[in-house]
Amino acid sequence: MNLSTAGESRVNGYLFVLERSLKTFLPGETARDAVREIESHLRERIAAADGAPNERDVVERILAELGPPLRVAQAYSAERTIDEAVATGRFVPIVRAVWQLAATTVTGFFAGLGLFVGYVTSMGFFAIAALKPIFPENVGFQFVGGIPVGLGAHFPRSPDVDLRGGYWIIPAALIFGMGIFIATQRGARRYLAWWRARRHS
Amino acid sequence: MPLDTWQEQLRRGSLDLAILLSVASGPRYGLAIIQHLETFTDLVVGEGTIYPILGRLTREGLLDAEWVEGEAPHPRKYYRLTKAGAKRLTDMKEGWRTFAGKIDRLMAASETDHR
Repeated sequence: MNLSTAGESRVNGYLFVLERSLKTFLPGETARDAVREIESHLRERIAAADGAPNERDVVERILAELGPPLRVAQAYSAERTIDEAVATGRFVPIVRAVWQLAATTVTGFFAGLGLFVGYVTSMGFFAIAALKPIFPENVGFQFVGGIPVGLGAHFPRSPDVDLRGGYWIIPAALIFGMGIFIATQRGARRYLAWWRARRHS
Repeated sequence: MPLDTWQEQLRRGSLDLAILLSVASGPRYGLAIIQHLETFTDLVVGEGTIYPILGRLTREGLLDAEWVEGEAPHPRKYYRLTKAGAKRLTDMKEGWRTFAGKIDRLMAASETDHR
């Protein structure tokens, strides 16, 4: 069946939405390959419907059998993002997978919240290590009235606040930051592995 | 657990095996795999959900994928079983037969007990 302009527009519109959805979580090349495969499927189905009287009904039936583009994209997303995160253990795929689950599931939301706190805390320690050599007088343990109340950078430094701690804060902050980062990363990976096992069970 | 949830879990659990079986006899492209599955099973609920699984099986090294141009007006992506895929398929078939055999025996025993 050779499609009319309206039929072509409908198919191209479907593929456009699919590609845009896929590109939100897949590398461009992978998304294009997936769209190419879905287009091949559609063209083959349409060609096989040669002789059907109503083009519009045929196209709508074929698209319905394939599923809405967002659902197809979601299926790719579920298969791809979490697998990549669990397999590689890399930071970006893990964050992407957790973000996706946080946006779509309740357990994912709470897991994402916990992991966010972990990542932000570790980044805070890294920031302290980076700022200490640049602003040695502004970074350290904050004491008020002789009682420790916090650790961090203080701009401007308040006269009521006593900042203590030498350059030993740098390795200490790096060790703490790295420890929290690794623990968060492991936690995220375990959570994603658990979610993947549950999905396949 | 509702019956349809249980059936959905069964369906999902068997899809990998069914897809590997579809390409066991030789390479097939996506739509041909779907049609093969539809001929023998009712495992395909949405056609669009099969392609992501094919992608995952390829990433896992169980399938090889290759675009072929020229045999149809549009290019087709063919999937074939890799050596690792063939090994996995053998293991899955054995696992399936063992599992199904045990359930069959259990059902037969429960029917005997019932009489």
